[in-house]
Amino acid sequence: MARKSFRRIIAKRLVNVALTIVGIMLLNFFLVHLMPGNPVDNMIPRSPKFDISLKWELQKKFHLNDSLPIQLGWYLYNTFTLDWGTSYMSKQPVFNVIMGDLRWTLLLVGVSTFFTLLIGIAIGSYSAYRRGGAFDVSATSVSLFFYGMPVFWLAILLQILFTTHPLAMHWWPQLPSGGYYDTDKYGAELKFTWPIVLSMAKYLILPSMTLAVGTVAGVSLVMRSSLVDTMTDDYILTARAKGLTDYQVLRRHALPNGMPPMVALIAMDVAFIIGGAYQVEYIFNYPGIGWRTIKSIGDLDFPLLQFIVVIGGVAVVLANFISDLILIYIDPRIKIA
Amino acid sequence: MTIPNLIRKETRSALTALFLISIFVAVLGFPAVLPSDAPEGSTPTARSCVLLQSVPVANVTADRTEIYQGDTVYFNASLSVPSEGAVITNYTWNFSHAGVRHLFYGESPNYTFNMSVTGRLLIEINMTVTDSNNLSAWTQINIVVSERPKTFLQEHWFDIVLIGLIIALVAYYTYPYFRRIIKSEPLVTPAEKEKFRLTMGKGRKIMKQLLKNRMGFVGVVILVFFGTLAIVGPYIVPYDVKTISKDSSTFLNPPSKNHWLGTDNFGIDIFSELLYGARTSIIVGMVSAVIASFLGALVGLYSGYVGGWKDEVVMRLNDIVLSIPWLVLMIVVAGLLGKIDLTGIILIIGLTGWSTTARMVRAQVLSIRERQYIERARSIGSSEMDIIRRHVFPNTFPLVFANTILTVAVSILSEATLSFLGMRPAGEVTWGTMLSFAQENSAFQNGLQWWILAPGLCIVVVVLGFTLLGYALDEILNPKLRHR
Repeated sequence: MARKSFRRIIAKRLVNVALTIVGIMLLNFFLVHLMPGNPVDNMIPRSPKFDISLKWELQKKFHLNDSLPIQLGWYLYNTFTLDWGTSYMSKQPVFNVIMGDLRWTLLLVGVSTFFTLLIGIAIGSYSAYRRGGAFDVSATSVSLFFYGMPVFWLAILLQILFTTHPLAMHWWPQLPSGGYYDTDKYGAELKFTWPIVLSMAKYLILPSMTLAVGTVAGVSLVMRSSLVDTMTDDYILTARAKGLTDYQVLRRHALPNGMPPMVALIAMDVAFIIGGAYQVEYIFNYPGIGWRTIKSIGDLDFPLLQFIVVIGGVAVVLANFISDLILIYIDPRIKIA
Repeated sequence: MTIPNLIRKETRSALTALFLISIFVAVLGFPAVLPSDAPEGSTPTARSCVLLQSVPVANVTADRTEIYQGDTVYFNASLSVPSEGAVITNYTWNFSHAGVRHLFYGESPNYTFNMSVTGRLLIEINMTVTDSNNLSAWTQINIVVSERPKTFLQEHWFDIVLIGLIIALVAYYTYPYFRRIIKSEPLVTPAEKEKFRLTMGKGRKIMKQLLKNRMGFVGVVILVFFGTLAIVGPYIVPYDVKTISKDSSTFLNPPSKNHWLGTDNFGIDIFSELLYGARTSIIVGMVSAVIASFLGALVGLYSGYVGGWKDEVVMRLNDIVLSIPWLVLMIVVAGLLGKIDLTGIILIIGLTGWSTTARMVRAQVLSIRERQYIERARSIGSSEMDIIRRHVFPNTFPLVFANTILTVAVSILSEATLSFLGMRPAGEVTWGTMLSFAQENSAFQNGLQWWILAPGLCIVVVVLGFTLLGYALDEILNPKLRHR
């Protein structure tokens, strides 16, 4: 019985995921159609000497003369066959450009999320454990302070304080102010040798720290309130009564029950983390998706932009789906519902 | 000014000087080669022959030199004079703005020019004539493109809609009183008196709880301070924040006795901007939060109360909007709109931020819908609209209200982020635009640390105030959390 309902829930969620992704693509399609101007105009040189018949050929190639439903069909076909068009600026296939940038964003977001969870859960559970104490009050107020801080502002301050940037203050720890890795003497090729990996880590410190600070605050606040909720339940009293130490109560009884809201929060936060990563990448010149987005807005590089929107949306949908699976796994009560 | 620009400008002035000198030499040298009293046997040299040859004159007329964007200007160069015994073979039109050069070759002396680029621009148009002696001359004419002045409706449509809504709301609630005045009935019925007393008592209780709550108290204090600043700020600024100084010595001045925080890249006092920006930043935050909450509450009420497949459809749409990263969506919408003003920013933030509220309201409505008093109301014959208006909405309102306060904080942050990333409301001063200009003009290098620190701190503190108040209200108004 339980197995069957589990399967049904998964199937329903999967259908929802597919519908949402298709919806994002449709929205994206109409967004592109609302854009002013003809996309072909951006691809041909603006010179009267240019042979105008090439423009008609391009229009035919991109199915711009067809009716809207047929264009939609071609758009969906091209999207699923990964033929995402060519970037106006770099003249590279959009798919390659996005996948190249995605590596760096995933590295940045992954590292910062890892530390966020580690620190946030530690701070949150300790403040819930010593509720009302000095640590709780100070941690909560500091968290609230950082929670409302604009990410880009924090990034600027950290850049001024800790980097080799010409505008920085140049005191003790000087980290690189922008970029992603140091090249060796053979040039800019990315190789996984020890010094290059080390330099990658060095370039990661400040951006991931900036991203982490804001989210640590949110995670620790939610962790605290969720734990405070569970701490008032009766089984905690029972556990205390049978003589467990405070740490054992927290670790074995309170934490597992305080986890579900955390998982949901992290999935919901993926969108916000991506948004924060945009600002961090922009300021630290970290060549990920966010940096590329802001650059392509300046260049009016529409093919790139529309698939960046799709990628961002799909990432959030998948994160929510995975969090649903994890929730079902860690909280068996949800299966029945 | 960048180096290539400098070189280009220097080259241009050097060329102009050379041109003037050559005309000067030609004019002065002319009498010297007149053959009037030349000695026998001496003939003009080849060198002086070159001086003798007349130079073409480039002459351009434009039908006007100050245009609005989108206007067309007609240039006429047919009055240009070729050198002696030659005909003009080629007219080259060359226009440049903001360091970008465009070249047009044309046989025709007439040229039409159309500028659709937004913003105020100075466009330099160079026309070079070349004649069949292969001599050329050029002249420059400047066109100023300014923004087309907005009509009253374009400028104030949002204010009109907002004020209209407020008037409609006020009219709706005061209409019964007017009717009573006309019918000369007593103005207030005893039932209303009692209701008012109850509401006041409830409000007083909430206020008391709020001030007893530590977080809420701090939030209220912060917001009272910044609220006062937002109201009086624009009237107490020591310097005007919208007039750009023409004296470049006032640009980027470090803090001094007259300018406490220094001056920015337009020579405007930063402290004045900080005071002025309080109003715009808070207005953007509040209006867009109200729009987002209103839309969210509407969608949530509808889909929660109606249920069924309509609910499914609305929730899938909601999922889609929720899934697209908010910042990307805002940036793309802002990019589509091109140039944006304050109304645009408010609409972008408000129209992209409704989905979380919708989801929350729907969850609340789902639980309220099954309560007994709804069934009772239905059994005595209340219409669906009446149930929503009198029972469902009032029960969700406290949640929506607390959530709106939290959304204000998020909206202020969104505005700052959008401004910082270049989507600035044109011609407005907010804390976000200040930060953006500060970053562009490397404030720290110019000794203007407060240009970055002060607006950032203001944003942090205001957002903190709204967050604290929102959490405190949530704790007080949300019955689930109250007895914890």
